[in-house]
Amino acid sequence: MSRTPPGLDRRTFLRIGATAAGGLLVGTWRTSGQEPTAAAPGRALALGAFVEIEPDGTVFVYSPRPEVGSGIKTALAMLIAEELDVDWKTVRVRQPALLDPKYLDQFTGGSAGISDSWEPLRKAGAAARAVLVAAAAERWQVAAADLSTERGAVVHPASGRRLAYGELVGRASELKPPDNPTLKSSADFRIAEKPTPTVDLHDIVTGRITYGLDVRLPGLLHAVVERSPVLGGKVARFDAARALAVPGVRKVVELPADRFALKSGRPVMVANGVAVIATSTWAAMKGRKTLSVEWEEGPEASESSTALRARLEKLASAAPGKVVRNDGDVDAALSSAARTLEAVYEVPFVEAAPLEPVNCTALVKDGRCELWAPTQNPYSTRSFAGTALGLPEDSWKTAITVNMIRPGGGFGRRLDTDYAAEAAYLAAQVPGEPVQVMSTRRDELAHSLYRSNGYHRMRAGLDAGGTLVAWSHHLANCSRYRYQHGESPPWDSEIYQDDFPAGHVPNFRVAYSEARSAIPIGYYRSMAPGATNFVLECFLDEIARAAGKDPLAFRLALIGGGRELPYSNYGGPKIDTGRLRRVLELAAEKGDWGKAAPKGRARGIAGGFVFGSYSAAVAEVAIARDRSVRVHRLTSSVDCGRVVNPAGARKQIEGAVNDALNLALKLEITFEKGRVVQKNFTDYPPVRMRESPPRIEGFLVESDKAPTGLGEIPVPPAVSAIANAVSALTGKRVRKLPIRLG
Amino acid sequence: MANFTLSVNSKPRRVSVDPDTPLLWVLRDTLGLTGTKYGCGEGLCGACTVHVDGAAVRSCVVPVSSVARQKITTIEGLSAKGDHPVQRAWIEEDTPQCGYCQPGQIMCAASLLAFRRNPTDAEIDDAMSGNICRCGTYPRIRKAIHRAAAIAAGRKS
Repeated sequence: MSRTPPGLDRRTFLRIGATAAGGLLVGTWRTSGQEPTAAAPGRALALGAFVEIEPDGTVFVYSPRPEVGSGIKTALAMLIAEELDVDWKTVRVRQPALLDPKYLDQFTGGSAGISDSWEPLRKAGAAARAVLVAAAAERWQVAAADLSTERGAVVHPASGRRLAYGELVGRASELKPPDNPTLKSSADFRIAEKPTPTVDLHDIVTGRITYGLDVRLPGLLHAVVERSPVLGGKVARFDAARALAVPGVRKVVELPADRFALKSGRPVMVANGVAVIATSTWAAMKGRKTLSVEWEEGPEASESSTALRARLEKLASAAPGKVVRNDGDVDAALSSAARTLEAVYEVPFVEAAPLEPVNCTALVKDGRCELWAPTQNPYSTRSFAGTALGLPEDSWKTAITVNMIRPGGGFGRRLDTDYAAEAAYLAAQVPGEPVQVMSTRRDELAHSLYRSNGYHRMRAGLDAGGTLVAWSHHLANCSRYRYQHGESPPWDSEIYQDDFPAGHVPNFRVAYSEARSAIPIGYYRSMAPGATNFVLECFLDEIARAAGKDPLAFRLALIGGGRELPYSNYGGPKIDTGRLRRVLELAAEKGDWGKAAPKGRARGIAGGFVFGSYSAAVAEVAIARDRSVRVHRLTSSVDCGRVVNPAGARKQIEGAVNDALNLALKLEITFEKGRVVQKNFTDYPPVRMRESPPRIEGFLVESDKAPTGLGEIPVPPAVSAIANAVSALTGKRVRKLPIRLG
Repeated sequence: MANFTLSVNSKPRRVSVDPDTPLLWVLRDTLGLTGTKYGCGEGLCGACTVHVDGAAVRSCVVPVSSVARQKITTIEGLSAKGDHPVQRAWIEEDTPQCGYCQPGQIMCAASLLAFRRNPTDAEIDDAMSGNICRCGTYPRIRKAIHRAAAIAAGRKS
């Protein structure tokens, strides 16, 4: 699997990205604005795609990736500003209004925002600085090498002369930038790696940010869709007469979602339905209530979580569909082991549930489509819309414009772009008029793409000395790659076979069996590790306890000094278990592992390698009177290499810990009669303030390694640590999520 | 359709809407006040919180006809310059992540502080647990409310 997550247009995009990267500092070196134009006096001039400077010295920095709340807008701007060498207080950070190859990569996902942009964006800042220096050298008739920069000005130390960037920008914008500008040494950083508050705070607290649902265009129409309650169901017939009589309702149209698929076969919409288009949201909702739709339910009406679990159980008990990794001789080692353990672990489907439900606005006119898309993935926004409009693929880039709108949260739900396909299709039914299509919360839960389930059959063998000598892991589940019809094999999205303790157990087997289902499979923050780390780290915990060993000591003994091993899944190509050891030790130290827990509480520990970074957690839990689990304290450690914004990193750890509580204790999607059972935040309840741990502490390993990701990384080990703490407290192993105490 | 003259952010606003329209959609679609957010439509998440006569209410479940004679305040009208103690505290604690729930959180917190000048953690948890933050900024919200109480009391500048 590639370094980047499998967005649908990812390959196409990477080609564009590569071209743009080569041409970055030349081809896009022009005045700001959508079209190359001559510089007008008093206007901000662009130094490459990412920097604009006004003659008065105001600096605009373009932070290219969508901000879904991870702080990427702030962090990427810090990198550019650092190399440009300006005063951070004078910098105004913008995000590009449009999807445009000159911005290299406008994707947010896979915790890859910083690692993928770390070098290119620093180079963009440094190249802009270099042309400003060159302009000053020309004016002063001195060598560029004799000049330096200082917070927004070029200085000539020998003569004491000084010119602010604003005075140089006119000439600088005409100069050819260096292809390979010199980057600062990190010892000279004044902005990067310093704790920096999020940009946009004032706009957020005054309600001024435009999120997807806040897009307002002249004549905007609003649409809601009554979708098939059953997976794969179709509209048999519908009567729109009463809906059309509701004041404000303009049009009622069928949404034939199953007619549109990518070339790979992947559907671009989730469910067929009937859409009501009206002049206001309320009119659309009211019209929808009066619709009379008869459904053709189809074969999926018998699908249920119970039936699916029975299929998974059968698959996991039979010979595996695919052995993904096989070291040594697991069967022989198990049969000769002094002691064996067997356990079944289960994880549910979950839905990402960003607080702003999915939505998109589109305008179709004269064969062109303009989208206002709150998304993590503008590339598949374009291709899904193009597919829903039936436009030939080679026209998408010219016929479809994507306006990048800030989303109210992502958590993976906005990597899929079914909403763009719906908006484009419905806008085409009212040409010339913009349409905003929104899901209600109920729509979002019932017609989404869900992080996959899992039934894991685990076996382990210990020798007489209590050393782990055999490990067998067989997962049966539904595959995201199967749903997405990618070229990659179905197990690749579901199980990362090189996860610890791989490489540290001589006889080690990972196997996979696929269950076919019509359930749409998508993303949830931390993806496969968010499900499988629970299995690995909790089974390890029970093995340690069975061997009579402390769970931390048991892990550290397995790791030894640590080794660099190949890692073939996302986050590879290497895993360094020495770094895993370090985060375990750090979390243990800061989380008081090994000390007595307060009365009525217990602690659990877990670690993990997630998407190239390392994290561990110690959870301290108690059981409340109502038998719910209360997490009193969660200590999280992270090694993600260099940290561009330590303040943002701490916020991400806090948020990730609360999301770990969602996975550990709260969220589960189930199916009955082909329908999602959960309706709203009553029966799909994200963590609320009174459930959030009173103490969440994040610790970052100091590192000089290149940055890797953070947004998702602390989630999986925190889930596992909570489960291990509950097991320690109750004496009964937790083997199923979300945790429910009897 | 019916005509109402609403008091929104201390200004009279005349609207002609279906009387059962939730206040949320009148604010957002009719008056263009999009700072108040939709999250669940059933009063479960608090993203749509506004003040009606000073009390925090979920505007997604309040028909406009029921608040026609009351004073409605939205995030846009909480303070003239965005410097209400709660807004200042939110900035000082660097609270938001995606930011979508924060107008509702802020309106709820401002209402809490109007009734309890110096709330305890338990009182904060009780008052704020109807507001979901999917990004999990709860630790900072808690700290920001204490800070806002201090700012309002003149203990912090």
